[in-house]
Amino acid sequence: MAHVVLQDLVKSYGGFKAVNHVSLTVNDGEFVALVGPSGCGKTTTLNLVAGLTPITSGDIIIGERVVNDLDPKDRDIAMVFQNYALYPQKSVYKNLAFPLQMRKLPKDEIDKKVKEAARVLDMTHLLERKPRELSGGQQQRVALGRALVRDPAVFLMDEPLSNLDAKLRVQMRSEIKRFHQDLKATIIYVTHDQLEAVTMADKMAVMNGGYLQQYDSPAQVFAHPVNMFVASFIGSPAMSLIPLQASTANGNTVLTGAEGWRLELSPRNAQKVARATTKKVVLGARHSTIKLHKNALPGSVPAKAYTVEPTGDVTFVQAFLSGAVVNVSVPPNIAVAPDEQIWLEFDQERMHLFDGETEMALKAN
Amino acid sequence: MSTIAETAPRAQTRRRMRVDGWRWAGRIFLVFMLLYTALPMIWMLITSIKSGFAATQFPPQWWPDEPTLASYQKLLDPQNSVGQDFLRFFWNSLFVSTVTTILSVIVAVPAAYAFSRFSFPGRNFLFFAVLLRNMFPAVIFLVPLFILMRAIGLINTHGSLILTYLTFGLPLAIWLLKGFYDNIPVQLEQAARIDGATRFQAFIMIVMPLSTPGIIATAIYSFIGAWNEYIYAYTFLSKNEQLTLPVGIQRFFSENTTDFPGLMAASFMMSVPVVVLFLVLQRYFVRALTEGAVKH
Repeated sequence: MAHVVLQDLVKSYGGFKAVNHVSLTVNDGEFVALVGPSGCGKTTTLNLVAGLTPITSGDIIIGERVVNDLDPKDRDIAMVFQNYALYPQKSVYKNLAFPLQMRKLPKDEIDKKVKEAARVLDMTHLLERKPRELSGGQQQRVALGRALVRDPAVFLMDEPLSNLDAKLRVQMRSEIKRFHQDLKATIIYVTHDQLEAVTMADKMAVMNGGYLQQYDSPAQVFAHPVNMFVASFIGSPAMSLIPLQASTANGNTVLTGAEGWRLELSPRNAQKVARATTKKVVLGARHSTIKLHKNALPGSVPAKAYTVEPTGDVTFVQAFLSGAVVNVSVPPNIAVAPDEQIWLEFDQERMHLFDGETEMALKAN
Repeated sequence: MSTIAETAPRAQTRRRMRVDGWRWAGRIFLVFMLLYTALPMIWMLITSIKSGFAATQFPPQWWPDEPTLASYQKLLDPQNSVGQDFLRFFWNSLFVSTVTTILSVIVAVPAAYAFSRFSFPGRNFLFFAVLLRNMFPAVIFLVPLFILMRAIGLINTHGSLILTYLTFGLPLAIWLLKGFYDNIPVQLEQAARIDGATRFQAFIMIVMPLSTPGIIATAIYSFIGAWNEYIYAYTFLSKNEQLTLPVGIQRFFSENTTDFPGLMAASFMMSVPVVVLFLVLQRYFVRALTEGAVKH
């Protein structure tokens, strides 16, 4: 196993920068998820690390080596592809043996390793089959087996679960996580599904538009998103972002909604707002930090329920507030009707405030 | 509700009837097509086993009174001058067609792969430029190519034919193969390269086996094109010992009386290699080799 360092990595296609000055360090044995919407540059970044795409500038270091100009075969990596990329003309056994044959291992050693990998992944009975005779989940396992059979320095995974059905995906998710814990493997895992990233990764790198937005542990990213993009991308349902006007009178800072209601901020939040470059401030709140009231309590603001979605455990209420959609979760025993007048109370300790111009999170000090 | 329930099945049967009508029309059409293509072949076979006299009788003998293989014996007998000629023409055709096929596969495979996988300046222009030759009737190039071949001293050599046939066959071979390579997921090569193969090894070990059906289809296409070609062979070659079969067979007309059974026997034997080639290799056309490679 080895660590991976990306230094000021750039990949441009003509004038378009698919990867824009990305720097990050993946420590030895760490599971890092590259996450972002489609077209954000996460797969391109992975292909740069794999050596399948030449880099434009910057450095990639795997272990102690700068691998910028090395062929994929010389980088000591293994990769699992979204579509599995199993060799269709080869049996499962030969698929697993291929990376070992290419490294000219003796036949009996190949046989030993292939059978060991098949045993670990519980597919000894499938060894003689061709990929087309396997189910999606089995193909996925073979792809995983082909990666782990040769003990590479780094595992690269490109959305390996996105072609599986929902149930199998949850199952394979925990298997890959277990696989990481058992092998202490360094894994770089690309996904567009923030839930996969949050549940599996030690650290997540949130990307958008070729830029690395935030690189931290899932808990940190969840609790302290650096900007509005990260705030809205991580978490489900998405964090509600409400554009408001800030004003200060008599030493009190107040946010005003488009409907005219006013929300007085705590001193700490007032400190944050004072650092904004503009009077436009965006209030971010996750569904679980908003309380729903049926009548006007001090500190709550009026809104109108729009849709009500019971999920069993919890009921999600969507309401319009200052031109934005706000998600609130309430216990299932509280009945809310669409178009009902409701009042929302925001948790001052757990709310997020963003600069309306720069979209960056506002910090107290 | 009840009216819907009653009318629905009736509407369904009516629709099924109509589909059947089309299907029968299709079958009848196919039977006509079969007769249209098969009857001349059958007549060729029947005539080839007639005696010279029986072949010219009117009304024709539908089945010869005395079937004979004499025409075949004559054609395949190396002692006989007709047999010598036929076997030499056959060999010439085989040589020209085989070399054309091998060369066109050798050139088309890497060319198609490059067009499919690499982006380089002028790729689209080049790709459509290879088709330029096929936009004109072959005859247009007859005189220019003749002058060209004479200038480089290839007239009366098989090389002139091989070069010419390549210009016919290659563009379509490249187009056909590019389609095959486009359908082979690039991730297979990427996986191979990560698994320890060089780009070339990935091509040879993973991509080539998967494109076998395409290569075989291309080869058959080139072979048939070269095997059947007449006008260039007729123009470029004038020495008897160099002629290819389509031109050589013509000699059956040029004698005082046309030897119809001999002509038909020669025609039949000329079609044998193509048919055999096709029958042996047709399973490659059908087999969907990439099935199961990737999840779509």
